[in-house]
Amino acid sequence: MSGADHHHDHHDHAEIGASGRPGYYDMLETAVRELLVEKKLIGPDEIRRQIEVLDSRTPALGAKVVARAWVDRDFRARLLADGRAACEREFGITFYDDTELIVLENTEKVHNLIVCTLCSCYPRPVLGLPPDWYKLKPYRARAVSEPRAVLAEFGTILPDDVEVRVSDSTAVVRYLVLPMRPKGTEHYTEEQLAAVVTRDTMIGVVPVGIPSERAAS
Amino acid sequence: MTETEGLVKRIPNDIGGLPAERVEQVDHEMEPWEKRCHALADVLDFHKIINTEEKRCGVEALGAEMVGKLSYYERWIVAFANILFRKGILTPTEVALKMKEVEARWPKD
Repeated sequence: MSGADHHHDHHDHAEIGASGRPGYYDMLETAVRELLVEKKLIGPDEIRRQIEVLDSRTPALGAKVVARAWVDRDFRARLLADGRAACEREFGITFYDDTELIVLENTEKVHNLIVCTLCSCYPRPVLGLPPDWYKLKPYRARAVSEPRAVLAEFGTILPDDVEVRVSDSTAVVRYLVLPMRPKGTEHYTEEQLAAVVTRDTMIGVVPVGIPSERAAS
Repeated sequence: MTETEGLVKRIPNDIGGLPAERVEQVDHEMEPWEKRCHALADVLDFHKIINTEEKRCGVEALGAEMVGKLSYYERWIVAFANILFRKGILTPTEVALKMKEVEARWPKD
């Protein structure tokens, strides 16, 4: 393939004309959806309801799971044994896309990174939708062949003796990184811990950091 | 490996391990239609009309030029239309007529 697939996802949003008329693809979506509703293949309210589900999924959900795993050893064991079951049973997180979830634990010796080389598979039930860079060629192509160079582009430099493991997602198996709990958070509550866990730490491109003023206090 | 051998061995989406540019940490706020398109994908999957694998194959079947030039959700909606045509669920004529109807809801630019 001839260098296809880059730089076209951060668009020039020429979707709506001066009259407010939607663009071609917007109208194609409307046409397909309305025809499917007319044929009673999907319900008239299903798209709106699914948008509500999508809107309810953000990295804050994954952050709560990570914080619980840091403070509750038994929960961490259950989460690592069966990520989906632990999220469903203990956080009521539904896996609307019917995917399995494998949680990968970062340690002093192992650093995990997740990618979907073929497309954009991502642990959506717990993190929401992926950022554009996760779906674009540079990350997808290089994360598996030169992960340390990719990590360095995110400002993450790992010691040579830390093993880097890259997990490539599929349509049915998704991954979530359980990052290391940062030093200086021993006195944090579970809620305070969740607040320092970001999306990128659960993809594995950066470690969890804490605001320096809090770390100093 | 010859140039054509590479084409045979790698479908357009199969880019893992290929050389590529530096990762730029780009993102954008989703357009309302993009969010609807994503929700449509999920709903089509719930009803077993189009699953994730079929969606990915449908995007690959667009060919390298469209995969390269269309944005992420543009590829999805075009792939959905093609898959629905192939399955005999919708026809190109129906979609063309419905798009005209949708377009007519808005004043001309």
